[in-house]
Amino acid sequence: MGRFKRVLLWAALLAIILLTFLSIYGAFLGAERARAFFNSLPLGIYWFALVSLLAAGIAVFRRLLRVPALLLMHLGCVLVLAGGFWGSKSAHELRHRLWGLEKTPEGQMAILENTQDNRARIADSNELATLPFDVRLNRFRLEYYEPGYVAIESRDGRRWRLPARPGETLALDDILGKVSIQRVFKNFKIGIQGEERVPYDAPGGSNPAVQIRVEPPGGPAATRYIFEQFPGHPHPEDQLAFTYNRVVSDYISELEIVEDGKVVAGKHIEVNHPLHYGGYHFYQHKYGANQAGQYTILMVVSDSGLNLVYAGYALLVAGIFWHFWGRRALAAIQGRRAASNTTYAGLPASPEPDRS
Amino acid sequence: MEIKYTVQGLLIYITISAYVLAFIASAAGRKKAGKVLFAGGFVLAMVSYGYRWIDVQHVPLQNLFEVFLSLGVACYPISWFCRRFLRIGGQWADMLIGAIVLFPAGFIFHARVMQLPPALQCWLFTPHVAVYMLSYIFMAKATFQAGEQLLGLRPRFEETHLPPEQATYELISIGFPLLTLGLILGSWWGKLAWGDYWGWDPKELWSLASWLVYVGYFHWRFMFGRKYPKINSLWAMTGTLAIIVTVLWVNLSRIFSGLHSYAT
Repeated sequence: MGRFKRVLLWAALLAIILLTFLSIYGAFLGAERARAFFNSLPLGIYWFALVSLLAAGIAVFRRLLRVPALLLMHLGCVLVLAGGFWGSKSAHELRHRLWGLEKTPEGQMAILENTQDNRARIADSNELATLPFDVRLNRFRLEYYEPGYVAIESRDGRRWRLPARPGETLALDDILGKVSIQRVFKNFKIGIQGEERVPYDAPGGSNPAVQIRVEPPGGPAATRYIFEQFPGHPHPEDQLAFTYNRVVSDYISELEIVEDGKVVAGKHIEVNHPLHYGGYHFYQHKYGANQAGQYTILMVVSDSGLNLVYAGYALLVAGIFWHFWGRRALAAIQGRRAASNTTYAGLPASPEPDRS
Repeated sequence: MEIKYTVQGLLIYITISAYVLAFIASAAGRKKAGKVLFAGGFVLAMVSYGYRWIDVQHVPLQNLFEVFLSLGVACYPISWFCRRFLRIGGQWADMLIGAIVLFPAGFIFHARVMQLPPALQCWLFTPHVAVYMLSYIFMAKATFQAGEQLLGLRPRFEETHLPPEQATYELISIGFPLLTLGLILGSWWGKLAWGDYWGWDPKELWSLASWLVYVGYFHWRFMFGRKYPKINSLWAMTGTLAIIVTVLWVNLSRIFSGLHSYAT
C-alpha cells in the first residue's frame, strides 16, 4: 500500500473516531444545542473534510471502484452528507443570495377551522414567510382509544384504574367498598324533567363524562359524575378522588391546498402522514382552541435535499447488505452447487480483504 | 427491583431459570441436557412473548420491558443460525445472554399495558425496533467471542468452529447491516413523524456513535487484518458498550431527555 493511501486510511479512521466522540458529546448537549453545534462553522469544515476524504478514497482506492458494494456504501455516505447540506438552513440562505430563491427551511402555521392562510412563522425567529399557495383547515379533530378510564386514588395514596365502560365494577377493599361505571357521556348536559334534573348525552359538542356509583360497605351508595375537562376538587370528607381520562389515539387536520382560488390538493394529515405539496411537507404539530374556535398548528418543512438523502440511504443499505450478506449467501449457493469439499453445509467465512 | 406476581412474570422467571440451568449443564459437560433446556427456554420465551402480544394487542416492542422480552426470544434462533451457517459456537454464551437480557424484563421494568401513542402507530415501528434487537444479539455474541479471544480461549466443543477473533468479525459482519438498517428506518420514520430525518436527539446521536464504532472497527480491520487481534476484540467490545448506553442509559437517565423518552 502506498504512503498516500496509508495516510488517507488513517485520516478516514481518525475522522470516524472524531465523529464518534462528537456524537457522544452532542448527546450530552440535548437536541437543540446539538443541532446548533453540528451546524456550526467548525463542524461545517469537518463535514466538508469528511466528504472530501470519501471522494478521495473513491478516487484513489481501486478496490472501491472494483467492488460495487463498497462503492455503493461510500457513495451513499457522500449523498447523505450532500443532501443534509442541501437541505440545511445555510444552503437555503445561500441559494437565496445566489439565485434569489425564496424557500423557507422550516416554519409553523397556525390555522383556525374553516379558514386559510399562507403565512408561516420561520423557525427560531419572529419573521413570517409567505408560501406561494394557501393552506385551508376544514376541520381539526382528535380521536381517542375506547374506552377511557377512571383513575381512582385513595387518601393513603393507593391507585386503581377502571375502564369507563358501563357495567364495569371494581372492588377496592373492605373499607372503601366498590366503584362501578353506570353511564358514559360524550357530551354531558343536564335537562329538567318535571322537578327532577336529568343528565343526558346531547348530540354534537364535547363534554365527556362518566356516571359512577360508589358503594362503601357500611354507608349509603352515592352517584357521582366525573368530567374529563373539569376534574373538580375532592371534598375533605371524600375517601376517594376520581379523574376521567381518555388517551388520544390520533390528531387529525383536514387540509386543502388552495392555489389561485382552486383546491389543488388535500389530505387528512395525522402523525406519520404528512401532506407534501409545492416543495414542502406539512406535519400535524400542535393544536388548541381560543375564542374564535379550534385551530391546528402545522409544521412546514422544506423538502430540499431529501431525495439526495434517501438515495444515499438506499445506496448505503444496498451496499452494506450486498457486501456483508449477499456475497456470503451467493458463495454458499455456489459452494453447494459445486459440492464444496467443506464438511459443513453452511456459509463460508468471508475472505481476508485485498488491500490494493 | 420489581417482582411480577403475574402469569407473565412467572413465564419470564421460568424462562430465565431454563436458560441459567442450560448454561450450568453445558458448563458441567452435560451438553445434551444443556441443549434441551435451552430449547425449552426458547419455547417458554415464545409463549411469554405471545402472551404479551395478546395482552397489548400490538407487536410488543413499545417499551424497555417488551424490548428485553423480545431479546429473550431472539437468542435461541440466532444461536442456531450461527452454529448452522457460520460455524460459530459459544452456545453457552447464548444461554447466558438469554438469561441476562430477560433479567431486566423480569425484575426491573414495569409491565403495565400502554396504548400506542400516535407517533408509534406507523408500519416502520416494528421493523425499526426488530432489526435493532436482532443486531444487538449478534453484537452481544460478538462481545463474548471477543472476550474469549482476549482471554486466549479456544472453541471447546467442536474443532470446526471458527477461532474467536474471526468469529467476532463474522458476527459483526452479520449484525452491522441490521444495525445500519435500524438506523436508517428510524431516520425515515423520524421524517414521517417529526418532520426531520435527523433530529440530533440524544438517542439518535448515541445510535450514530454505536454505528460509527463498528464502522471504525471495519476500517481498522481492513488496515491491519489480524495483526493486532486484541485491539480488534477491544474495538468490538466497545461497540457493545455503546449499544448498552444507547439502549439503557439514554432512556433511563434524565441527562438525555428527548424524543425517545416514551420508550422507557
